Amino acid sequence: MSDAFYLGYDDSMPPSLARFLGRVVFGLAFVAVVVVVAVAASQSPAEPGDYGFGVETPFEGVLMEEPIPLLQVGSGAGSITNYVLVGSGKFGLPAFALGHGGKRVHFNGSLIHKGDQQMIELNDEKSFSVVSDQREQRTGVLGMETSLSGELVDTKCYFGVMRPGAGKVHRGCAARCLHGGVPPGLLLRDTAGRSVVVLLSGTDGKKLDFDTEWAARWVKATGRLSVRENLPILEVERLELTEGP
Amino acid sequence: MSNHYRAIDWNRQKRRYDLVLAAIVLGGAAVFLGVSAWVSPESTAETLILRTTSITSFFLLHVVLAIGPLARLDGRFLPLLYNRRHLGVTLFLLALVHGFLAVFQFHALGDENPLVSLFTAYGRDYAVLQNGRFQIAHFPFEPFGVFALVCLFLLAALSHDFWLRQLGSGLWKSFHLLVYPAYLALVAHVALGILQTERSPVLPLLLGLGFVTIASLHLLAAGQESKRLRASKLLASDGFIEVGTTDGLVEGRARVVIVGSKRLALVRHLDRIYATSNRCRHQGGPLGEGQIVYGCLTCPWHGWNYQPNDGCSPPPFEEIIPTYRVRLEGTKIWVHPVALPLRTSTEGPLVPGANLSTGTTSKL
Repeated sequence: MSDAFYLGYDDSMPPSLARFLGRVVFGLAFVAVVVVVAVAASQSPAEPGDYGFGVETPFEGVLMEEPIPLLQVGSGAGSITNYVLVGSGKFGLPAFALGHGGKRVHFNGSLIHKGDQQMIELNDEKSFSVVSDQREQRTGVLGMETSLSGELVDTKCYFGVMRPGAGKVHRGCAARCLHGGVPPGLLLRDTAGRSVVVLLSGTDGKKLDFDTEWAARWVKATGRLSVRENLPILEVERLELTEGP
Repeated sequence: MSNHYRAIDWNRQKRRYDLVLAAIVLGGAAVFLGVSAWVSPESTAETLILRTTSITSFFLLHVVLAIGPLARLDGRFLPLLYNRRHLGVTLFLLALVHGFLAVFQFHALGDENPLVSLFTAYGRDYAVLQNGRFQIAHFPFEPFGVFALVCLFLLAALSHDFWLRQLGSGLWKSFHLLVYPAYLALVAHVALGILQTERSPVLPLLLGLGFVTIASLHLLAAGQESKRLRASKLLASDGFIEVGTTDGLVEGRARVVIVGSKRLALVRHLDRIYATSNRCRHQGGPLGEGQIVYGCLTCPWHGWNYQPNDGCSPPPFEEIIPTYRVRLEGTKIWVHPVALPLRTSTEGPLVPGANLSTGTTSKL
């Protein structure tokens, strides 16, 4: 034991002890900085994305309910942009928008997007209106038979609400979102680290029936892959758990 | 020094301690945020807050766990122990922010109660055996965080001396051992959570380094204490037990000895040898590692005082510790393992050949 005896209720401590503790505190601060810098620098960079939280934008287009809720918006040049539709929080297409598949609708919503992959959060029921009751038909596209392996994600978080919106830490949220009806996606990465999400649908124009607890797990999806304007969609015939790379 | 319920007293040393603590926490958080914003500019504010609170609170938990063994290995670390509860409460508050935000971010606004979702969102993976294969990597990490947060809450809530008095130092101390399961739960929380997402080797390396550091310090401290207490113990026919010699027991200092199944404090005051309980009435601090200050045996943890001749705290304080009979044969010290009735005043045997010393400290 040191000669310098410490009494916490005194106003000061012995000078030799104060000098020792000064060195300890300096060393502790140094270790703290090294640790936090090392941890911060080791993080994988979150992928870009954007969520216009609180920013309401007017949209008009043809609402498609199945297999994936979409708003198809035509441009003057005849091209179509597809927006995936979800509700507030961890929910898919809200009840007020159900039953209007094929109709032209107008509403205000918040835009979520990652590059060309775009999504609208319908969060303003009062702004929702049917512009035309006439139902429009969209012809299906016969895709190419393929098998893809990747992480099962909820598209709302991955497109930009959460960054990062994938991985084990996010798994509970992804499971909750998928259970709430947010369209599922298959996250594919190439060796250069680039990524794309393929939306997953069921066959015959139906929603995909799957186990939402597989969220954030590695799965292999077999089916027909097609690209509808700006969105790659896989009509899944078989979905199975696999081990990751 | 009394354990009656009262507001916390502040003095210059406590304020300094808290200022240094705040500077390290805020400085560390600022550095983490700065580097994170540079490395991952697309991360959301919620992600940054979650990660900042987790790294700062987990780092502080390592400091809290290291202080105990460090103070046993080198008494100069004892001032860090004096206000360790401030560290504990701070790390709990950081962990609380982390936990609350994580529950809201990942489990609220959905089709299930967030507190239920926390445990059930992917509940089938509690089964670590799936299709005949052992799969621990998918095991939910959230329950470990909840368990640790509950432990840290109990530790923070019970840290006031009011609860120390209500529970008694033994039970109170036992409660505070919850810090160890909390730490192990957090290791599992990190290992099954972020380590399954991030691929950098830095995180597992730091986690392992932290664990090895904490475990090594505890083993070293235990080894040193065991070595210090190892001595030949002779038993006399009248029940006295030999506990060592007066050599090395300098004026004003104390030593921990084992007498039968008890740890006692042996103290030399004005060249007389006294034996008291080693257990401070405050938090069970080791009185045998204390010193004589103003004529009293003083606990090294928080400075509680006891008169060595009768075990009583000086008035107006009322705490009492047991005292024991001491006999000297030459330089050999013998102690009787049965405590004297409380408040019994004894005159310890005089060290042979010693002149009444003026001691080694100005506060003797």
